[in-house]
Amino acid sequence: MTIPMDFLQLGSYTFSSRLILGTGKFSNATVMLEAVRASGAQLVTVALRRFNREQAEDDLFGPLSAIEGITLMPNTSGASTAAEAIRAAHIARELSGSPFIKVEIHPNPQHLMPDPIETYEAARILAKEGFLVMPYITADPVLAKRLEEVGCASVMPLGSAIGSGQGVATAAMIDIIIRESGIPVIVDAGLRSPSEAAHAMEMGCGAVLVNSAVAVAGNPPEMAEAFAEAVAAGRKAFRAGLMQKSGSAIATSPLTAFLGANG
Amino acid sequence: MLQMITIELNGTKQPLPIGSAVSDLLSIIGSDGKSVAVVVNEQIIRPDKRSARLLQEGDHVELLIFAGGG
Repeated sequence: MTIPMDFLQLGSYTFSSRLILGTGKFSNATVMLEAVRASGAQLVTVALRRFNREQAEDDLFGPLSAIEGITLMPNTSGASTAAEAIRAAHIARELSGSPFIKVEIHPNPQHLMPDPIETYEAARILAKEGFLVMPYITADPVLAKRLEEVGCASVMPLGSAIGSGQGVATAAMIDIIIRESGIPVIVDAGLRSPSEAAHAMEMGCGAVLVNSAVAVAGNPPEMAEAFAEAVAAGRKAFRAGLMQKSGSAIATSPLTAFLGANG
Repeated sequence: MLQMITIELNGTKQPLPIGSAVSDLLSIIGSDGKSVAVVVNEQIIRPDKRSARLLQEGDHVELLIFAGGG
């Protein structure tokens, strides 16, 4: 049987990998670049920072751009209002040349929960300006639909708090978002293990975005590879079609008695 | 002796010879050849405009790069 090609479609861009990798929190740039290569990710997030002449090696644009097939998705981290996020998006596009922007507006550093009102406003304006907007949001089906209506390329509901490793705690809400959505749903934040990424993909997510789980792993490149395999397996399972759950046992073997039975 | 001006660079004071362009600033602080975004008084200055854009006393300059982030 020939399985048709399966691509992640974001705007006019297509990706064969459904694992998006973040580049924060790695011990150094060499390990991060090894992890990016091992992950097979084609979409990679970066953040804007002030240039510091004492830490000039922090600049990741050159080394990431040198990896074939990579598209950068800058985020607006650090913005706490729509206006700040829009300004960051303009600067990021200037640097990256990429139309992708991860709109990330979290005003409270204690919990890093995204501000739905500022996110909606920034996404609406940036989508109108031609950006491929990827908003990081709470797992809210109403907000997700509104963001689709203003032209976002995807919605990225959180599985759990950024860097928490609590997995897909919002699974029930993400399930509703997927059912209602006409654009890819990408679980962003909270994933700890490849099995959680596989679960998200089995549910029908278009992709997952992982950072901390890979960056702080004992062996980041190996963990990146494990996530890539889990994402591919989960996607394949979703496409193959999972069996229905049942409240009671349904036998897999014939129950006809034959061992010592009289018939 | 060179006449100097003072600009604000990424939030701190930076002296510069009068008549310096954005491109001069980049070579003075060693960020030329790198991928930096330049914002002067909230306006993005593209690479092809950097040698023509002269800096004035009190200008607010932001130099930004891509660093790790999720």
